[in-house]
Amino acid sequence: MSTRHDGHGHGEAPGEFQIATKVSEFEILELAVRELAIEKGLFSAEDHRKFAEWADGIGPHGGSKLVAKAWVDPEFKQRLLADGTKACLEVGIDWLQPTGSGTPSDYTFFYVLENTPKLHNVIVCTLCSCYPRPVLGMSPDWYRTPNYRRRMVRRPREVLAEFGLHLPEDVELRVHDSNQKSRFMVMPMRPEGTEGWSEKQLAEIVTRDTMIGVALPAPNRKSDTKTETLVSGGRRR
Amino acid sequence: MATMQYDKLLTKVRNLSPEERDVLDSPYTIPNELYAALRSVLHDVGGQPDTPQPYFLKEEEDWEMNAYLTSECLAWRGAWNSEMRRRRENDLGATEYFGLPYYARWITGAAKALVDEKLITVDELSAKIDEIRERLEAKKK
Repeated sequence: MSTRHDGHGHGEAPGEFQIATKVSEFEILELAVRELAIEKGLFSAEDHRKFAEWADGIGPHGGSKLVAKAWVDPEFKQRLLADGTKACLEVGIDWLQPTGSGTPSDYTFFYVLENTPKLHNVIVCTLCSCYPRPVLGMSPDWYRTPNYRRRMVRRPREVLAEFGLHLPEDVELRVHDSNQKSRFMVMPMRPEGTEGWSEKQLAEIVTRDTMIGVALPAPNRKSDTKTETLVSGGRRR
Repeated sequence: MATMQYDKLLTKVRNLSPEERDVLDSPYTIPNELYAALRSVLHDVGGQPDTPQPYFLKEEEDWEMNAYLTSECLAWRGAWNSEMRRRRENDLGATEYFGLPYYARWITGAAKALVDEKLITVDELSAKIDEIRERLEAKKK
């Protein structure tokens, strides 16, 4: 089994790691491909800059807005469930950005999955790492691990429990396997204790993990702190 | 690479794949069940048995974000597309597919695609790699 998560595989000292050494071979390879591509006119430095600007602007805050708006506006919720891509425009998310025809990897159908008291949804991509980038930003690293991809479709309740989410047995669990044509996002249920909250307040508790489906929103829960953070070179913070 | 001892490298490569298995060495014939098993694709991992592991948040390195951006820009302007990118990753072979960090799969696939599509040559790529390594090492000194 892979040991990439703890960053100390094969008995190596952290200092031997690719990304912790003086010059990263991956950094070199990426620069080489990029510079050659620009020299050959395969794309321009301006293209790269424009795409980077778009990528900097995406994040879970997009999805949080969608969910918070749906919680306070039942008609918007219906529009969101009926046509996710179209409803996104109402909160300023345009799936055709940044190229005018979408990103090459995300120009797909987008479905919002509504949780109910008797149904919980969770997303995965077993074949690769498909993720609704325009509404949730870049996927967290654990979402792309073979481990999550292997186990979420076989033992979902156990995996959710590892994230601290223990679902009652009478709640049906649906695992949605994303692919190159379909992306999903979970719309969690509005928790008790948020009566009278503004859309902005509500959006703050709709964290990334609640829209992947591995956590539930709660009035006092404003960040996904369950997982440890790895910094450069695979070291734990 | 020149300074890396060959034996040390060989040991590392051998340790990447388990040796306790039936060695397949181009057999004259194989059972249908084995043929079916051989046809399964390595990226289709959904449902495979595995044990719990801690799920970490990992900060994106600059090169990782750039690998994403470069791959997407190449697709935007038609050098390849996202289906080719995924296919490249899936065809890396088990050792590299599971051995490389996530975005290293992307950029490795991109480099190979550009060479195979004759958009760059291997010589251009290795010369550029040497040039950039020299530049980065000079900068870090």
